[in-house]
Amino acid sequence: MKPFEFFKPATIGDASKILADYGREGRALAGGTDLLIRMKRGQWTPRAVVSLNRIAALRAMEMNGELQLGARVTLGEIIRSAEARGQFPVLARTASKMAGVQVRSLATVGGNLCNASPSADMAPPLIALGARADIAGRDHERILPLEDFFVGPGQNALVPGEILRAIFIPRPADGFFCSYVKLEHREAMDIAIAGVAVSAQLAKSAAEIRNCLDVRIVLGAVAPVPRRAKRAEEILRGNDLTRERIQEAARLAASEAQPIDDVRGSAWYRRQMIEVLTRRQLLALMTAPL
Amino acid sequence: MSDATKPPNGSGSQSPGIIGKRVPKLDALDKATGRAQYGHDVTLPGMLVGKILYANVPHARIVSVDIARAQKLRGVRAVITGANNPGRKFGYGTDNTPLKGDKVRCRRDEVAAVAAVDEDTANEALELIRVEYDELPAVFDPRAALVEGAPKIHHDKPSNLFTRYDYSHGDAERAFDSADVVVEGDFDLPYVTHSAMETAFCLAAFDLQGHLTVWSTTQIPFLLQRDLSEALGIPGREIRVIQPTIGGSFGRGLDVYPFEPITVQLAQATGKPVRISFSRTEEFFASAHRQPAIVRMRSAARHDGTLWAREARLVLDAGAYISWGAVTPLVMMETVASLYRVPHAKFVADVVYTNNLPTGAMRGYGNPQSTFFTEVQMDELAEKLGMDPVEFRLKNANQPNEETPQGLKITSCGLRECITEAAQRIGWESRAATDERRFETDEPHVRRGVGIACTLNVGGGARIYRSDGCGATVKVDDFGRVTLVTGSTEIGQGSETALAQIVAEAMGVRLEDVTVINSDTSVKPWDVGVHASRTTFIAGNAAWRAAQDAKRQILAHAAQMLNVSADALEIGDRIVRVKDDGRQVAFDKVVRALHYREGGTFVIGTGWYDPPTQLVDKDTYKGNISAAFGFGAQAVEVLVDMETGKVRVLRLVAAHDVGRAINPMYCEGQIEGGVQMGVGYALTEELLVRDGQILNPTFLDYRVPTALDMPEIETVLIETADPEGPFGAKGVGEMGGTPTAAAIANAIFDATGVRLRRLPMTGERVLAAIIKGESNAASQTEP
Repeated sequence: MKPFEFFKPATIGDASKILADYGREGRALAGGTDLLIRMKRGQWTPRAVVSLNRIAALRAMEMNGELQLGARVTLGEIIRSAEARGQFPVLARTASKMAGVQVRSLATVGGNLCNASPSADMAPPLIALGARADIAGRDHERILPLEDFFVGPGQNALVPGEILRAIFIPRPADGFFCSYVKLEHREAMDIAIAGVAVSAQLAKSAAEIRNCLDVRIVLGAVAPVPRRAKRAEEILRGNDLTRERIQEAARLAASEAQPIDDVRGSAWYRRQMIEVLTRRQLLALMTAPL
Repeated sequence: MSDATKPPNGSGSQSPGIIGKRVPKLDALDKATGRAQYGHDVTLPGMLVGKILYANVPHARIVSVDIARAQKLRGVRAVITGANNPGRKFGYGTDNTPLKGDKVRCRRDEVAAVAAVDEDTANEALELIRVEYDELPAVFDPRAALVEGAPKIHHDKPSNLFTRYDYSHGDAERAFDSADVVVEGDFDLPYVTHSAMETAFCLAAFDLQGHLTVWSTTQIPFLLQRDLSEALGIPGREIRVIQPTIGGSFGRGLDVYPFEPITVQLAQATGKPVRISFSRTEEFFASAHRQPAIVRMRSAARHDGTLWAREARLVLDAGAYISWGAVTPLVMMETVASLYRVPHAKFVADVVYTNNLPTGAMRGYGNPQSTFFTEVQMDELAEKLGMDPVEFRLKNANQPNEETPQGLKITSCGLRECITEAAQRIGWESRAATDERRFETDEPHVRRGVGIACTLNVGGGARIYRSDGCGATVKVDDFGRVTLVTGSTEIGQGSETALAQIVAEAMGVRLEDVTVINSDTSVKPWDVGVHASRTTFIAGNAAWRAAQDAKRQILAHAAQMLNVSADALEIGDRIVRVKDDGRQVAFDKVVRALHYREGGTFVIGTGWYDPPTQLVDKDTYKGNISAAFGFGAQAVEVLVDMETGKVRVLRLVAAHDVGRAINPMYCEGQIEGGVQMGVGYALTEELLVRDGQILNPTFLDYRVPTALDMPEIETVLIETADPEGPFGAKGVGEMGGTPTAAAIANAIFDATGVRLRRLPMTGERVLAAIIKGESNAASQTEP
């Protein structure tokens, strides 16, 4: 590994200042599970590494009307948190399907998002939950819908000096459901070939019919960034969930994917899997307990 | 003692002692607590770190190598190249050199090496080396490499065809004309790699007499002496090889690799000890992987269910240099020609040079490949005959005491029992009502299926080299401690403890009284190496002989002390006693009495075992290569998701004929470990190689199955008491993973009706086959 300067600031302001000073040559360190691998391989050779681990504010996980999830919260903490398991089971389930126990005890939700991998598992369910990114700069702050946070593979919307402080997730209303399914080659320690998150606000329309007041379908690992399948959402929104409509929505979601061929799967398979994963999750909503 | 030269085979008599007991491995606590000293833990005063610069171009002339800047870097002690350190040709094909001087033939080729005070400095030095290449056309498809005018890999070889194996018995050509049922198909088998927990390493140090000591993860310490001598021109008698605890190898350590002589060259150049430890990335691209195979296979049977003929034609990609892996067709042909009774067989394999990474030996040594295509076609024949796959296999199974047309002398053979056990335990009977069972799943898109496949393996050594021998000594000290010094090597398989059990049983002492020394060529007797599931059988027989020799010496002296004939004595629980009257003397006291007397002596027994086998005939490839054969059958139950293609192996029954389990726990461990590799070979493991480059050199994208991916494994040990094996034992090291992929493929067929002939059977490939199968079915029903 190349030598670098190491900082451990105590406040977001200080961290932001150092990161701004070093610009593209500075890297923030949270869990380090992506950063250190790249540094060891020589893919990244930052001059400065800024640890965020002394900044207590980044580690908060609080429910104040909505869930405020500090960027420095680890996947393991999400899995163990009563709030996440009670109100947002999809987050705990998603985190438990990422990497292995050792990595999950270090890896953070903010790191997973800032790393901006097209297959980042935390992104689709958080976008489906309507999450917003709380960003702090040296002398400003801003809030972005999470779906706008991703710019390209490995690229996020932060400018040098900005830090992802927290994720805000609205408290779900009654009749709200959210799920995420990723297709993997193996049952653990793997990255999604394709992933789909579905969220829906449902109401009973007739006896056994569910009406879809609102819906989000978010695709992972099949485009440069996690993206919503808006045409598929469109034909469901405000309508009753019927098999025909679900089949059509799944087909549309597949058509909205922009997958590539790589070592994890070919484009045709990924597209096909988007259809299958979308359909299965929507079908499950037809019998969701209301 | 009826026959002084052979251990009892355990048939009939119930052994009272330690044989067949589930005792923990002698090294288990050290390994579990991290105390064991692996090669990477070994450091010497003044030791330097070595690093290698690889070509990363597949085929090129080396125009120049500029090392001036690297040499000047602070902390660098030596920079060597093929020009300043040419080395000599070595390897199975005598086609490789440590560093390459004139030409590189694959991306792995070693162009320069650095010794420096630490790893970062060594890496930085590598970056300062400038190599100018004149790139040459490269060839990566072995079939293309055989075409006239293809780029030639080695100019001093007649062609890119290194060798052709051409075997036949009966009249395969005409047999297919007279057969009632014929199946035919193309199979495609991938590169896979050993994935040993410990990466390879080499540490080399010279003493002031100029003698070399090498610490190594090798499986062939005595051949490594010879190979290093060949590559470096150092006399073999001046080379000592030490094997620290080895964290798995699985065939990787069967050849000498260029990095080993390079480590020695760096030690020579610097006058300091030098260590090269592979990173995991290096382990992925610089190990000799199991070679990929392109296979055209056909099999035939008669209406009555008699297996009739097989013909396999293979093209094997050796990569840029030939390793012992080039000999795997000898094993592959054994499966084609001798698994079941095969009246007619033909097997042709071309071993071809390409600009791909060199391939080599991996657990099973060709057998996982050939068992896959052979056993998938057994299933296809059964289907075409309208016969139950289990019944078809039982009808044609090998039987005890028969010689196959290939010349394999099968003695003990439990294949039929293996098939019966595996089938029964997986619930094969309920498969009869198979259509309903197929849909008995929790979800509408999931199908259930069961499948079976069998295996034949060498189980009594394998005469691949002219010798298949192993030496052993057993010495007893003043306090009754028994030390076995064996030529064989422990690479994690548990043979060390199995050998200790054999010696304890033979001597009549407790297991905790036995120490095993097996790690130093200057101490241990010669052995050909750890491979071919041979250690318990070969080294076990040698250890038994040495123990008998030592026991004879002790009994002879005890007889004098007790004034009886030696025949009247027995040893048990550290006591020598007269069988009839119970008079006794302590075991250790006998040894002390020998030491402390006028004209005294010491107790050391020696044993050598080289099995009664033959090298195969060099033209016909016939001959009895092994003194015993292991058999097995594995049956699996799978679930297949018809929409994603994903396969879940639910249960696997592995029934294996091990002759006699010296320690049932290790037999099960070997089989379960083999199954794990077999499941990976079947479903997830593949090194993706494009233009000679590995695209997935990490455990993220090279997917070894995790605990969650593994089925519940039920291991059944079939004990057939082999007449030649120590206490009846046969080798078990490799066969656990041999039939797994075929059993899974056959279960996938049962579930889905589609045949997979390409490994691994990923979700994507299974789904593609299902879709293709549906469209074929649709087109067939159209008018």
